[in-house]
Amino acid sequence: MRLLLELVLSGIMVGSIYALVALGWTVIYKCSGVLNLAMGELTLIGAYVCLTYYQWGFPFPVALVATLITGFILGLVTERLFLRRMIGEPILSIIMITAGLSFFFRAVVGFVWGTDTVVFTPPVFPQEPLRFFGMVFGQVYLWSFAAAILLLLVFVWFFARSRWGLAMQATADDETAALSLGVSAKWVYALAWAIAFMAAGVGGTLLGNINGLNISVGYLGLLVLPAVVLGGLNSVPGAIVGGIAIGVLQNLSDVYIGPLTQGGVKEIAPFVFMIGVLLIRPYGLWGWVRIERV
Amino acid sequence: MLKVNNIEVLYHEVILALKGVSLDVPSQGIVALLGANGAGKSTTLKAISGLLKHENGRVTEGSIEFLGERIDRSSAEEIARLGIIQVIEGRRVFPHLTIEQNLKVGGHLRKNGGDISAGLEMVYQYFPRLKDRRGVAAGFASGGEQQMLVIGRALMARPKLLLLDEPSMGLAPLLIKEIFEIVTQLNRQERIPILLVEQNAKLALSVAQYAYVLETGRVVMDGESAKLRENPDIRDFYLGLTDLGTRKSFRSIKHYKRRKRWVS
Repeated sequence: MRLLLELVLSGIMVGSIYALVALGWTVIYKCSGVLNLAMGELTLIGAYVCLTYYQWGFPFPVALVATLITGFILGLVTERLFLRRMIGEPILSIIMITAGLSFFFRAVVGFVWGTDTVVFTPPVFPQEPLRFFGMVFGQVYLWSFAAAILLLLVFVWFFARSRWGLAMQATADDETAALSLGVSAKWVYALAWAIAFMAAGVGGTLLGNINGLNISVGYLGLLVLPAVVLGGLNSVPGAIVGGIAIGVLQNLSDVYIGPLTQGGVKEIAPFVFMIGVLLIRPYGLWGWVRIERV
Repeated sequence: MLKVNNIEVLYHEVILALKGVSLDVPSQGIVALLGANGAGKSTTLKAISGLLKHENGRVTEGSIEFLGERIDRSSAEEIARLGIIQVIEGRRVFPHLTIEQNLKVGGHLRKNGGDISAGLEMVYQYFPRLKDRRGVAAGFASGGEQQMLVIGRALMARPKLLLLDEPSMGLAPLLIKEIFEIVTQLNRQERIPILLVEQNAKLALSVAQYAYVLETGRVVMDGESAKLRENPDIRDFYLGLTDLGTRKSFRSIKHYKRRKRWVS
């Protein structure tokens, strides 16, 4: 029982990081209908940027904030260079562009930072684990959880309250109507990419702190797909719950089903789960069901 | 205030939707744009507001001037910034946002918060029903409420010129009356000039001071509303009245001949 609780709790903590990346994915999908296949590479870039700042001697919180700012700028630049001219083109073409971007970014990361696993040295978070009620947690998990939740709250506030957050939601709902009110669709798309970059960057950094950083962190982008689908592709709360659910699911399947197999259950379980969800609820948990008045 | 000079509009570079439309909107009052389905009323509005560019259409000939500035090459966003706000036909609310959030998006061009709450106050004064329902997702509001919402949302953008596209579409007669009363009030009290597109010619001529009649992409007639109401063709084709002022009999075939004269 204690093992179960421990697995669930640490699953929630890792899941909150997935949630952050899933949120980035959702934001782009919601605003422009594009599945961003380069999401994993965005996490990779963010993580390496943060690592570089940290190695330059910035304290970790400062490095993290600097990563957010860099991510914001990179997002705007990416949108301007690669996606702006695609506005109005078929969605599939834009998705292909993001696939191309994913290879491009991956190559850039290999080129600039190499392919060896690197770790944050000195370690950012204290090494000795914390114990509650006999359960053991690494401090890095707790801090990551706190950071992820804080950032998620900021994003949720941003969408529900702020001027640009509302404008983004409005554009997602009805682009022409938003345009008629003077909302700049170009800025909305640029902001979506900026937010995706920021969220992914922090997610990548936190994961890099847990497991060390190498090019395989980029596969996270694919891993959050089940999280996003579970929540419903265009729901911000859905992405958060989906991310956390996938974290827990991974932990549980690893410990309870893993020993019965040759391994790899942890990687497959989210996708099996995703297919199950799609069969029963094609919209995901909170995806947009079309509002129809009767 | 707004001058449309002989514009021609192409969709997808091949479909000629407007073939020389000219009109003038003075800085106060209501101007109506009448015409049957497909005459080019909505296209004219979209050409003015710049939304045309998002439907793969463009103004190929002629010019549009607003307050002395040429706007036919500007983007929809720039035109909205200048103060021309279009209420698109078909009650295009943001269905997943609440009514109040919809209004706040309307106030997107107002930068500070105090300004927005003042705007909300003003809209709620004209449309008290929206205030009662402000927490409801706009997609679930009734048709009348949605129409009020899109007009209110446009007001939040502080329009210098309001383009209203078919506010009566699909609403009950009583609601239409209510909405048109509010629209005329807005025109008088807030001094917002309005360019109104309507299928319901009788209604439009009763609120507008001046009207243009469009047919297959051309202005075929224009004049003071009072005069147009007396015009035999308008009475016949748009108001459904005969010269005697009684209801028209559809047995008479005569109107085909007169119609032909217009189109040629």
